[in-house]
Amino acid sequence: MGPLAPNELISENTNFLLAFFIGIAFGWVLESSGFSSSRKLAGIFYGYDAVVLKVFFTAAITAMLGLLFMSLFGWVDLSLIYVNPTYLTSAIIGGVVMGAGFIMGGFCPGTSFCGAAIGKIDAMVFIAGLFIGVYGFAFTYGWWEKLYLANYLGEPKVSEKLGMSDGLFGLFMILAAIGMFLVAEWAEKKFPREEY
Amino acid sequence: MKQLKLLAFIIIPLGIILAAVPADRISQTRLTPEELLQEAGAGVQFITPDAIADMLVQKDPSLRLIDVRTPEEFDAYSMPGAVNVPLSNLLAEEYKDILNQDAYVNVFYSNGSVYANQAWMITRQLGYENNFVLEGGLNYWFGNILSPQEPAQTSPDEEFARYDFRLSAAAALGGGGVVSTETSAPAVKAAKPAVTAKAKKKPAGGC
Repeated sequence: MGPLAPNELISENTNFLLAFFIGIAFGWVLESSGFSSSRKLAGIFYGYDAVVLKVFFTAAITAMLGLLFMSLFGWVDLSLIYVNPTYLTSAIIGGVVMGAGFIMGGFCPGTSFCGAAIGKIDAMVFIAGLFIGVYGFAFTYGWWEKLYLANYLGEPKVSEKLGMSDGLFGLFMILAAIGMFLVAEWAEKKFPREEY
Repeated sequence: MKQLKLLAFIIIPLGIILAAVPADRISQTRLTPEELLQEAGAGVQFITPDAIADMLVQKDPSLRLIDVRTPEEFDAYSMPGAVNVPLSNLLAEEYKDILNQDAYVNVFYSNGSVYANQAWMITRQLGYENNFVLEGGLNYWFGNILSPQEPAQTSPDEEFARYDFRLSAAAALGGGGVVSTETSAPAVKAAKPAVTAKAKKKPAGGC
């Protein structure tokens, strides 16, 4: 029964090897969906192209359905799946910083590597900025530590907080996603751009 | 738009299926071997016989004794109010409501504590809570609670206090272990006239 690595069905090295191939496949799908173009990515903020929303929400829904069904079939133990712990303050501040960087730079961290891989200079500059930010944060961690660790919530699930089953929350999530896709398609027609 | 419709036709029914499935079927909370080892090593599953005796005397409604021995053994003797869930049938669907609940304190017992411990491990691994094990099992229960040994004169006061408690508990629980079988003989004799009296009444009613 999965997950494979925590249950020691595969070794850590095999796990890294699988991650390597999955990473390559992920990058290839990102690039072929147009995620190496910063104009296409930034389209989500202006309404002319919602590919970011569509791809990432479809990925989230697919993963959610896959995990819930595999748990239902007894193939995977959800309690062993790593969930990022929630530090509310840093999640909000980080989200704002990341969003601002996304609008200004036209990439998010993953897609900047995608763009750099096909030789885009703006993506390489973005990666340089990314490393400056990472090292800058690491070397000044002492200043931020209190803020960074504030409002620790553990590993909450929205379904638990709302007191509903995971499956029911999943259904609402799917309906919300389809609603957002409809809005996105409407926006793409409303704010079209010929070339980007 | 056509793609979106296709997507909706696939994922909405899947979502409805997930929403309709009982929540406990989806999230199975299994312990890792390390967690189980830690709990078993700390002995968190054990409840002392004295605590059980106290709960029985107090008629604690939250206590539910579960006999994991075979039905034959259960018929021969069982603790007061116990239900029989044979270890070999532990996973049967009919017992799930008994084992996976949060209203009672379930206490497994067997002759020793090995089978009861196995039952606890299995249910713990299934993520069930509120299940415990009677420490020492029936053997200890008989030997120490129902027929307590008088402590030596030099024993500390706690020993005597425990002995007194066990004596009164044994009396309340119809115990005295071995003693009870001896005293039960006259009790049966005494009951016999009562039966004959009933038998006499029947024809009396007929008249």
